[in-house]
Amino acid sequence: MTSALPMLQVRRLAKRFPPRAGAESPWILADLSFHVCEREFLTMVGPSGAGKSTLLNIIAQVDGASDGEILFRGEAIGSANGRTLNPGWDCQIGYVTQDDNLLPWRTLIDNVTLPLKLQGRYDEAAKKRVVELFCATNLTGFERYYPHELSGGMRKRGSLIRTLAYDPPIILMDEPFSAVDAQTRTQLQQDLLRLWNLGRKTIVFVTHDIAEAIALGDRVLVLSKSPAKVIADHRIDISRPRDLGNVYKLEGFGDIFERVRRDIQ
Amino acid sequence: MKLRTFFDRLIVLLLVIVGWELCSLYFGTIWFSSPWRVLRRLIEEIQNGDLFYQGAYTLKAALYGSLLGGVPGLLLPFALRRHPLTNAILDPYFIGGYGVPKLALAPLFILWFGIDLAPKVALVASIVSFLVFFSTAAGVSAVNSQYVNAARVFGASERDIARHIVWPGAIPYAFAGFRIAAPYAIGAAVVGELISSNRGLGFLIVSGATDFDTTLVFVSLVTLTILVVIINLLVGRCERWLLRWRPPQQGPSLRVAGI
Repeated sequence: MTSALPMLQVRRLAKRFPPRAGAESPWILADLSFHVCEREFLTMVGPSGAGKSTLLNIIAQVDGASDGEILFRGEAIGSANGRTLNPGWDCQIGYVTQDDNLLPWRTLIDNVTLPLKLQGRYDEAAKKRVVELFCATNLTGFERYYPHELSGGMRKRGSLIRTLAYDPPIILMDEPFSAVDAQTRTQLQQDLLRLWNLGRKTIVFVTHDIAEAIALGDRVLVLSKSPAKVIADHRIDISRPRDLGNVYKLEGFGDIFERVRRDIQ
Repeated sequence: MKLRTFFDRLIVLLLVIVGWELCSLYFGTIWFSSPWRVLRRLIEEIQNGDLFYQGAYTLKAALYGSLLGGVPGLLLPFALRRHPLTNAILDPYFIGGYGVPKLALAPLFILWFGIDLAPKVALVASIVSFLVFFSTAAGVSAVNSQYVNAARVFGASERDIARHIVWPGAIPYAFAGFRIAAPYAIGAAVVGELISSNRGLGFLIVSGATDFDTTLVFVSLVTLTILVVIINLLVGRCERWLLRWRPPQQGPSLRVAGI
């Protein structure tokens, strides 16, 4: 069930920061275009410092673009015409950042339910949903813990379900698993895929890890070095559900990995 | 606290008392009183209720002044957060006001408010307000912009951000301000009493000194010290409870007055 219209379209997006000390800043993004379909898991891979975070910040409207436009379900949500930003586009766009950004003075459950409470949607159904999410991510029993009392992996899962709990139609993820050890990361990736299978949200997942991009995504976009643009678009035909512990043995993985690696170089 | 530390502290206290005793033996009790006399007089003054009567007056001036100065000092940075232009205009005046030696204002306050509680409260408020204001303002400007962005994305209004992110983040800084301000508050109340009063521990010090009653002066000083220590202890307790979310050994934890 995919609608003809892509969920999110990014057209000829360009960005550079304001001049610094009189000198023009370099372009971070230039002529960057892509689209994501409804319920698609799109991953983007690119070298470090390619402007991946900047791109997601612009889509989430935390930051403005210098040129180009972004369409959400066909409607222009961000362009370079100097309109005031509307971060999250009225809670339609979720954003899981590199840092977990859990508020240290709120317990885990209070962090996860904060968006729902602020949006006035913390009803019985939402409560049930939150309990399910805690359960699905093995966080049950840690509801009353403060973030500093939790491990890095638990905080990541907390920040993930904080966004999933209020159920935005599209979720942006900026290297959410980059700061954890390899073992925890595989677990987190498996959790993410399981959660995605339950709800089938649209996800734009940015990473610098080629294996992660292939293992998770339906489609992998390769970004060039700065100024970033999309230089390749690979469809990943590995069947789901995927066993991420053995992703390297999956059919076609080595082949696609080699192609993406060459694109990046 | 380790038992060893406790005993070592006790030894330091004993050394101070012995040194004091030696001073009073060498220079005479008329100048230095003596630890034993002070202790006896302290118990006496507690028993006849005079110390509580005088202490309560000083404490009242310090407390009212702290509230009168502390509450605006605490709230103003939040009001100014949304008005950077106003903040930029007023900033040099805040710094100038902070620079004025407040104790020098005491005669003016006495002129305006008489010699009752009011001028002491005003003096305390003028000192506490600036200390709390600058400390809280530092906390407000240190707000983590990543938290703010994340909250905006999931639908937080400016009011939500002030309430759920800026306010809790600035609380540790505000507490640091109050902790620094506590001894100054007591001190300012006492100075107000030194200049003109017929009540309070400052009054007790003045009347002791004019009567060559050094024992009474030392009794007042010991009482003031104990008061400040107790206040710091209470503020510390309150802080620990309110900031129980904080990982141990983090954030601005200013240790003042030996607590």
